[in-house]
Amino acid sequence: MKHRVTLRIGPATFRIGSAWSGPIGELRRLYADYPAPSDGSADFTVRLEPAGLLRRWLRPSIFITGDHGLADAAPMSLAHSLLAAEMGMNLQMALGWRRHLLLHASSVEKDGRVLLMSGESGSGKSTLAAQLGERGWRLMGDEFALIDLAAGAVLPFPRLVSLKNRAIDVIAADVPAARMGPLLEGTAKGDIRHMRPRADAVARMDEGAPPALLLFPRFGHASAIRPMGQGETFMRLTQASTNYVALGEAAFAALGRFVDEVPAMAMDFPSGDEAIAMVERLWEERA
Amino acid sequence: MSALPLVRALRRPESAAAFSPEQWNVLIAMARAERLIGTLALRIGDGAVPGGVRAVLADARLDAEREARQALWEADRAAAALAPLGLRVVLLKGTAYAAAGLKAGAGRFIGDLDILVPRDSMDAVEKHLIAAGWEWVKSDPYDDAYYRQWMHELPPLIHRDRDRMIDVHHTVLPLTARQTPDAEALIADAVPVSDGLYILSSEDRVCHAVAHMLADGDLAGGLRNLWDIYCLLGEADPAALETRAERHGLLPHVRQARRLADALYGEGRTRLTLWDRIVIARLLARDGWGRETRKGLRFAFYLRSHWLRMPPLMLARHLLTKWRKGYRPA
Amino acid sequence: MRYGGAAIIGGRAVTVDQRYCREREGNILFRTLGDIGLLYHRPSGQTHIVISPVPEILEAMEDDSPVSVGDLLQRLSRRFDLGPQETALPKIAAHLADMAALGLIRAVA
Repeated sequence: MKHRVTLRIGPATFRIGSAWSGPIGELRRLYADYPAPSDGSADFTVRLEPAGLLRRWLRPSIFITGDHGLADAAPMSLAHSLLAAEMGMNLQMALGWRRHLLLHASSVEKDGRVLLMSGESGSGKSTLAAQLGERGWRLMGDEFALIDLAAGAVLPFPRLVSLKNRAIDVIAADVPAARMGPLLEGTAKGDIRHMRPRADAVARMDEGAPPALLLFPRFGHASAIRPMGQGETFMRLTQASTNYVALGEAAFAALGRFVDEVPAMAMDFPSGDEAIAMVERLWEERA
Repeated sequence: MSALPLVRALRRPESAAAFSPEQWNVLIAMARAERLIGTLALRIGDGAVPGGVRAVLADARLDAEREARQALWEADRAAAALAPLGLRVVLLKGTAYAAAGLKAGAGRFIGDLDILVPRDSMDAVEKHLIAAGWEWVKSDPYDDAYYRQWMHELPPLIHRDRDRMIDVHHTVLPLTARQTPDAEALIADAVPVSDGLYILSSEDRVCHAVAHMLADGDLAGGLRNLWDIYCLLGEADPAALETRAERHGLLPHVRQARRLADALYGEGRTRLTLWDRIVIARLLARDGWGRETRKGLRFAFYLRSHWLRMPPLMLARHLLTKWRKGYRPA
Repeated sequence: MRYGGAAIIGGRAVTVDQRYCREREGNILFRTLGDIGLLYHRPSGQTHIVISPVPEILEAMEDDSPVSVGDLLQRLSRRFDLGPQETALPKIAAHLADMAALGLIRAVA
């Protein structure tokens, strides 16, 4: 493929090929200070291909694929190519990663212990993680939390954080422009802007830590905290894991241990500031 | 760039020992695209590979093991559902290889469960599978009628809880194809493998794999099919195979498959025909990023696969109906 | 619905004499988590969330030899209060049929 870049994030290395130079340039800029892949061999190949015969030039349309792909994936416009590249990496991880249990969760570390926040798009897990990352916590990841199968530690996977709609302005106020990607308007999920984690979060991307608290955040409700039972937590996490079934027995053991050892709570919050305050309080109580 | 590096690495895994990281990237992308990564991982075994590659191959072995386990469970469930009928349920393809511990099954990614049952039992089989939780996948009446009348199988069924498909065949080629394998002989000479489950005899296994690859399809996944055939040939008696192939009307195909298997995965000493070389070109149409190449050649084979399955007039009518419904070939 | 010594469950007659046996040793991993039981079934790779009486039934079949629905009911009655036989029998039979459909136990001819 005409344009390419190889990126290492945490334990995973991606070889990304593209028919257009734009997305590769963006990736190089935003991932510039990430440690180079150890020897150039990649865990996954991602391809950004023209969605049809003429689609390289005429109303360019990107089909995201690679080692793992979805045949019916909707093509994306060239303007959203950075998003396409990020989605391509997500797809490979979600369908192909086997070395850790994957949970759809953001994770931040403080004092050697990890807070995980699990939820779907719109729950606030990415924005909260980004905000905590600017307030003394180490951002480990916003999309996937990696759980070590043998020992249960959480490992960092600090990709670009995907911020949506209102969250963009909130975070952009705290973060220098050099760490922000282009504004992508009119995507399927509204406006999106990517944020690179802070330098020390990137530098420490090989340092895991044990999990201490799991939250299920819900943005846009009156503040409330409710402990979640182990049975319900286990069920929700199997749904939040893309590779639980693929990992079989090892996942059964690892998830069972995780739920047994890590307290879980549902947290409703009306605003980012309130959420941060609630999180800090909960963390203090568990120190 | 063609898929030759992949073929060479399967034939002689040591040849990859001195690969650069980028050569490994190419090999892995091709192997994944051809669904041969599990096979490659087992062929390489404990050979010296760079650390990152070791992890990728270990993951592939894990996946292949899990697939085999799930495939055998599906077979177990099908046998349980059909037990009251007291018939021979003959496993086909990947599940059969896994059930019998054959070399062809080692590291293989297995898709749906394929079984062969006597034609006059199809209705009863359908009823029992549905009672045990399988449901229809296709709901288009045209496809449904087409399947039942002309294809060699029931329309696909999927299990409502396990979400896995089963394909029930009564012969191994469509009724409209030019060859008519002897389905009764296939079942009569099947060998038992576990409770109520059978697999085809060594020679019939080769014939089926060959029919599937050369007389039925458009050669998508051909490198993997050919690897299966190469492994199965090693366990079939050559003279018995010729006799059997003749009986099924598949002798030229089996001979061609033998030449192709030797050319790509074997010693490479056989003389190839022009047609053999065209088929090989189609089989190798994959690049170092895992993309399919040689669109024109692939499209030609796509058309050919329909040609093989149907008499010409039917073909025209069939393609026109599909076109009108908006179906376009990949 | 009762019919002689049988019950009709899911359209099929299940008699008190229908026998089941457990899966081979080690095929099922079990753990409790809070107030639920989790069961991992190795041959299928499936995880099941189970509540009473499934774990109790499995335990009562511990010795691996085939046991009939009727005998199993007796074994369980010794340890638990299951209520009157007429209501308990079809329920246990239904649980066993479901467990066999999932492959956790096997129906024996």
